[in-house]
Order: sequence, then C-alpha cells, then structure tokens
Amino acid sequence: MQIDIDALETYNELARDGAESAAASLSQLTGIQTRVDVTNVSLASAADLRYEFVGREFAGVRIALGGAFSGETVMAFDNQAREAITDVLAPDGTMERSAVEEVGNIMMSGFIDGWADHLDTGIDMSPPTYVEGSGEEVLPTNVASGEQLMMFRSRVQAVDESVDFRICLMPERATMAEAMEPAADSGIDFEKLEVFNEMTAAGSANAAGNISTMTGIDADLEVNRMSFVPIEDVPAQVGDERYVGTVLQYEGSIGGYLVILFDQPSARAVVDAMMPGGSEDGWGEMEQSALEELCNIMTSGFIDGWANVLESEIQHSPPQFVADMGSSILSPVVGRMAESQEHAFLLDSTIETADDRAFRCELFALPNEAELTAALDALLVERADQLEADPSEVF
Amino acid sequence: MELDVLIVDDSDFMRDLLREILEEDHDVVGEAENGVEAVELYQESEPDLVMMDITMPIRNGIEATDEITSGDPAANVIMCTSVGQEEKMKSAIKAGASGYIKKPFQKPSVLQEIQKVTG
Repeated sequence: MQIDIDALETYNELARDGAESAAASLSQLTGIQTRVDVTNVSLASAADLRYEFVGREFAGVRIALGGAFSGETVMAFDNQAREAITDVLAPDGTMERSAVEEVGNIMMSGFIDGWADHLDTGIDMSPPTYVEGSGEEVLPTNVASGEQLMMFRSRVQAVDESVDFRICLMPERATMAEAMEPAADSGIDFEKLEVFNEMTAAGSANAAGNISTMTGIDADLEVNRMSFVPIEDVPAQVGDERYVGTVLQYEGSIGGYLVILFDQPSARAVVDAMMPGGSEDGWGEMEQSALEELCNIMTSGFIDGWANVLESEIQHSPPQFVADMGSSILSPVVGRMAESQEHAFLLDSTIETADDRAFRCELFALPNEAELTAALDALLVERADQLEADPSEVF
Repeated sequence: MELDVLIVDDSDFMRDLLREILEEDHDVVGEAENGVEAVELYQESEPDLVMMDITMPIRNGIEATDEITSGDPAANVIMCTSVGQEEKMKSAIKAGASGYIKKPFQKPSVLQEIQKVTG
C-alpha cells in the first residue's frame, strides 16, 4: 500500500476541521468553550495506543463507519467532561447515559461530515454504542489486533475548565489504501513505514537500556508512536510541562532533530544516580555534563539502528542542555524545520519505570520529511533486523 | 604496564569517569575536549594511548584520529564513543584507530580493550 503525503496532509486537516466542528457542537450543547489541542494521524501498536487510555476513566460512544469510508471511531470524554455534559443536559441524574450518547453522536457527525464532503459521497454511521471504562473498554474493537494501527486522533480541551475529550478514528486498511493512493509513483510505502516504526521502537528500547546501564535504574516500559502533524502543531504535542533535557541535530542518510526531555524530578533522579559522589541542587556544569552525556548515549542507542539498517552514517551534534517548558524547547526547532516543510513525522517515545514511576523521559525525533521519504525508499525490509553492529566483528 | 594516556571527550562528566577508571593503572597525561585540542596535546605529550570520543564540537574524533595517525602511524587510538554504527566503525579503522569501546561501558571492558590494543 502506497500513501500519498499530500493526501495524508489533507486528511489530517480534515481531522482537525472535524475536531473543531465536534468541539463547536459540544459548546453549543453545553456552553463549555473548547479548543482543539492536538490533532494528528499516528501509527502505533495496539499496546502503545492502550497506554494512553489506561489509568483514566472515560465514557463515550463508539460508532462504526461504512459505505465509502469504513472504519471505527470513538468519542471518549474524561470524567470531568462527562460531568459537564450531564450537569447541563441531565441535571436530575436520570438519562445521563442517553445524554452522553446523544452528545457523542452529534459531535461525531460533525467530525465525519467534512470527510464525506471531501470524498463527495455519503459515509454511513452506525447507531452509537455507549462505552465506559479505561483502555480497551473504550477503544475501538479492532485495537485487539496485533498489527500496527493507523488512526486519526484529536484531543480537545475546555478553555476554562479541566475537561478534555478524545476522538479516535481508525479507518480500515482497504479504505486507507483507496483514500491515500498516490496519483503518481511518489508515495510512501506503508509497510516500510511500519518497519521504520518498529526500528524506532527498537531504538527506544536501546535508549532505555542505556539509561539503565548508566544509572542503575531499570527503565522497563517504552511506548512509541509515529505521528504526522502540521509542523506548527508540534510544540502543542509536547505540552507546557517543564522539562530538563537536551536538543541535538542529526544529519546523514536521515537528518533532523532529537529532543530528549525528563520531567524535573526524573532528571534529578538520573543525575544523582550517575554522580554517586553527590551532585549540586541546581544544574551546575558537572550536572549538565552528566545529563548531556546520558542523552548523547541515548541518542546513539536511538538512531544507530537506522544507520545500520540503511548501511549508511548518521552523525549527530553534541547535545545542548535545555531547561524550559516542553513547547518552548520545541518551538525553535520547529521554526527551523518550518523553513522547508509544512508537516512533520514526529517519532515520540516514552521511557519510564513501570511500577513506581521513579523516572519518566520523552524522546521526540523530528526527521526531515524529504530525507525520511528517501530513506524509506532505500530501506530494504529484509535488513530491518540488522540494527546492531558489534565493534569486535569490525575491528 | 603503565601507559601515558590522553583522554579526548567533550563531556566533562565522561572525562572524569574515564580518568577515574584509568588512573589506578595508568598515567593520564592530558585531557582534550575536541579534536583540535586532541591533536595539539598529542603532539605535545606524545602519549602511549589516546581514548578518543567521536562526536565532539569543532573537530570530531575520526578526523582527529586521522591527523594523529598520519603524523605518527604507530599511535594507539581507541575510539571511546556512544556511536554504534558499522559505517562509523569502518571510518574509524580507515582513520587509523586500533580499538573501539562502546558507551555505556564498564571498567573491565575498558581495561580489556586497552590490553588488546597495547598488549
């Protein structure tokens, strides 16, 4: 299956317009003013998708799509959003479920209408199925499959209140193939994109292993996503939490930027672990150097596999220490990339300890779109497991 | 055998760590934080061994190794780097490197590679 980048951009815009339309419907029905926070099309495994929904309770509707565009959608409201809806539409406590169903149905119609207009055809929607719970209980039913899933996702937040809802549209593969088919021989091979995503997942596992070796802290959970987003939306994907980490640029067969961010307690925890003799409370030269070196080693673990599979070189600049809000750290990077591209493939990996959350770190890789496309073209799928190179075999 | 060692790495933290590992058995005669300093210090101190990082500002470790071994074909240079790319390893060999240690490393693997290269 070939994917046309221009079509991907178009459908991404449709998803954003759809999310805005759904948000407007919610505002009209409940009076809650909302804004679309994040919209992207992403490729992730079922486990990685479930991770986003586990640990939080949602209620919403699941709707099957048919006709010219087959697939499944979920509109999931978090508890605050559900309460905001039922407080307005079912204040006496009865009909709460019906209110959520109807709001979900109306919003989803708003989301889908633009797609139907774009395709110049009708899209059939099944009656909404009420869903409630976390993780698999609210996600589309085909998430259970083992293959990687392509989905359109939007997160919408209220302007003044702590409520948010998520829209997840998962087209069937045949529908995707038809909708994204390139007019000429210029698309991205979807199977290669999946392979590259798996290579990236292996890279984040390597990076996690390097953290463990350097700090003694076992990093045992990695979540990986590949998203396609408008370049100006990248900072919003990272959010406004304060982070400490590094930014660096890589170039070679694939060029781009890699940003590694630790939340502040995590950064302190890893540096303390690396400097058993004691570190200063702030971020002195040696503490910065320790974190930069950790990120340097993580970077190699992350990108070396790409170079080895592609039988090429990717060199990276020394990491530059940063401490700021996530979106502020990403903004200058995005500014430079925006000079040459309007959309970006964002490779986002979360590494953390599974049980006590002793630390958590995020890797954001932003490859140059044209170079990634060329690299995918050159990628030999049969070499995809040749990620590691052993110095003792080369020397 | 005690060796005179030059450590080349742009990271203060990594230079400290390597110095700590090496000083028990060897004499660290200098530290450089980029490839240009490395070449200058090599010519000044003529060490028995250079522990050379690859990714550094100003001049990278492969270029610096090339210059050192061009001037002194008998130089012992061990690349000590996070880079695990086969093509880079081949470039290091071409530049005249004699060994390769991948970060993150443990002390025994560092000492073993030194023994292999200089023994």
